[in-house]
Amino acid sequence: MEAKIGVFLCNCGGGMKNIDFDAAGAKVAKIRGVACVDLISDLCLEEGREKMAAGIRAENLDRVVVAACSPEFKEHVLGQVLENAGLDGHLLCMANIREQCSWAHEGDVTEKAVELMNMAVNKARLLQPVEKQDIAVDREVLVVGGGFSAVASALQFSRVGLRSTLLEKEVVLGTATRELEGLHGFDICSMIDAVEGDTNIEILTSGRMTTAKGTIGDFTVTITKEGEEISRKYGAIVLATGYRTELALGSGLELRADEEAISRAKIVSQEQLFGMLNDPFIDTKPKTIGFVFGFSDENSRFPTLATLNNALAAKKEWDSEIYVFCKDVEVDSEGVEKLYREARECGVVFLKCEVLPRIAVDNGRIAIEAEDVFLGEDTIVACDLLVAEELLFPTEGTAALSSLLNILLDSRGFYQDENVHLYPVASEKKGVFLVGGCRGDLDTGRVLTDISSAVMSIDKLLLSGTITVEIERVKADPQKCVACLTCIRVCPHGAIQLGRVDGGKEIAVIVDLACDACGICAAVCPAKAIDFQGYRDDQLLAQIEAIEES
Amino acid sequence: MNGRIIAFCCEHSAYPAADLAGKLGLHYPETLRIIRVPCAGRVDVIHMLRALEKGASAVLVLGCEDGACHHITGNIRARERVKHCDMLLREIGIDGRPVVMFNLSPNAPHKFVKAANEITKIIKESREAR
Repeated sequence: MEAKIGVFLCNCGGGMKNIDFDAAGAKVAKIRGVACVDLISDLCLEEGREKMAAGIRAENLDRVVVAACSPEFKEHVLGQVLENAGLDGHLLCMANIREQCSWAHEGDVTEKAVELMNMAVNKARLLQPVEKQDIAVDREVLVVGGGFSAVASALQFSRVGLRSTLLEKEVVLGTATRELEGLHGFDICSMIDAVEGDTNIEILTSGRMTTAKGTIGDFTVTITKEGEEISRKYGAIVLATGYRTELALGSGLELRADEEAISRAKIVSQEQLFGMLNDPFIDTKPKTIGFVFGFSDENSRFPTLATLNNALAAKKEWDSEIYVFCKDVEVDSEGVEKLYREARECGVVFLKCEVLPRIAVDNGRIAIEAEDVFLGEDTIVACDLLVAEELLFPTEGTAALSSLLNILLDSRGFYQDENVHLYPVASEKKGVFLVGGCRGDLDTGRVLTDISSAVMSIDKLLLSGTITVEIERVKADPQKCVACLTCIRVCPHGAIQLGRVDGGKEIAVIVDLACDACGICAAVCPAKAIDFQGYRDDQLLAQIEAIEES
Repeated sequence: MNGRIIAFCCEHSAYPAADLAGKLGLHYPETLRIIRVPCAGRVDVIHMLRALEKGASAVLVLGCEDGACHHITGNIRARERVKHCDMLLREIGIDGRPVVMFNLSPNAPHKFVKAANEITKIIKESREAR
């Protein structure tokens, strides 16, 4: 039976002056299968959408074409209108006559608009409904790591009522961060105490993830703890494995053999300085301290915070003279502007340089030489202690975990975000989230924002205990599939498995929960067995053929 | 389908870039027809060949930038497939109508317009050469 297609035109309240809607409507009405053409000027508004729903019901339509703005804005909203009118949301096809027609060209574009609508009608004729189903998911979350971001995540999960497991490879939580309490403005010890007393949080120390299978809502993870294997099920995984640092001294630093040991001891990291400041038995208090940071990475929020905290503490404890060589002091995190002002007021000197300062050893002292861009001349400062620039690296296990979970690493070896701007805490594998230093972002305030964002996303996914998924939107035809495994190898989301139909033939089975609807499998399948509803071969070809007709 | 350019646009990069071009009032040739795909990797050889068979003067496949594909490997697959399609056309000796892949990000409307203009220029030049 021929589908009854309704075409709804929206003139964007007069925002598309170079299309003659009456003429376009009259032409579209003649296309085969079009049962009605309706001009609605306000599909953005509730009234307009009600008119559309009434039109669908009155004409008893099977397929709907909307010629309006880009589907990027309104496709999901209009899909809902179809659902309200008793049709499946997938039976909608949009013709983008605003951004890609009216606004993109000068002069009358009625003809192009009609052609775009013809393409949409041709595709709409072949659309098929897609069933939706609620799938039960596990409500527990695995947090990998035992540092600040991991502990803070676990606490937040507990607050929203989700149970979580902290998996730490060391014997106790917070080994790397415990000594840094105060340095970056966080209070890790009391957080660890809170975690230990929380019944919603289970702590697995000296444990390592050995295998990870499954997809969002249904991960099966094996953990090896002291030679014992534990198998657990989780709904989502949060990676908070942190970072490590190495000193960067720049090239050209040559130390004489007899001086080396003494000089090396005078070049320290922020962490070592912090340790020295908290050591009540230190023999000699350095009179002059030089800080160098911000030359290796554009983002210097984290070293800025550490430097300001340490410099202020050194002023207070030792009353040292302090010189800070840096490219930029980034004070846009919470409370940092205040710290910076405090530091300047108590006499910390900031020197802005464009290139990494030269470092030399001079009479047992460290000489830092750099050109200050404001003074315009070389400045040499002889220090008793140099707090050197640090480079950030991911922790050792990062690469191993990424191959276990099948997620990507970026060029520096940190986990790759799904979208750096729009969705930074998600990895490209659904259900695996990244927070804190393991994605290369270290600013404490931002890490807390990351954590809240990840917890909210996971809460939304798991709290109801079910996820609504589209069933068999992408499906391999058991008649055509020969189980050649091509799709299983190419699927970027690991969403295809080998399964059996009715206990007989082996075929590729697409896991609806994990599928991200990219259609790569449909394109590579040599037997053309995979159908992707909405982007089926015949649906794409129908659009091309529509262009020929006109 | 005289002189139409068929552009398969990835809905994560090129499609929003085209939208943005419209919003900014950047003009590109009216002959361009955009077909939305979920990923450049969805475009198969048959789609490109059918477009040429029906008389398109060029086929564009527009996907995400290298290393930034929403579906990780989709743009790499698309590039290989475009190459393969081009090779097929050469082998059978079909006239040199271009099948080209471009990479762009969703916030790069200028690059979209540049791609559209470039392909139009290539078509014009090859027509004049004949």
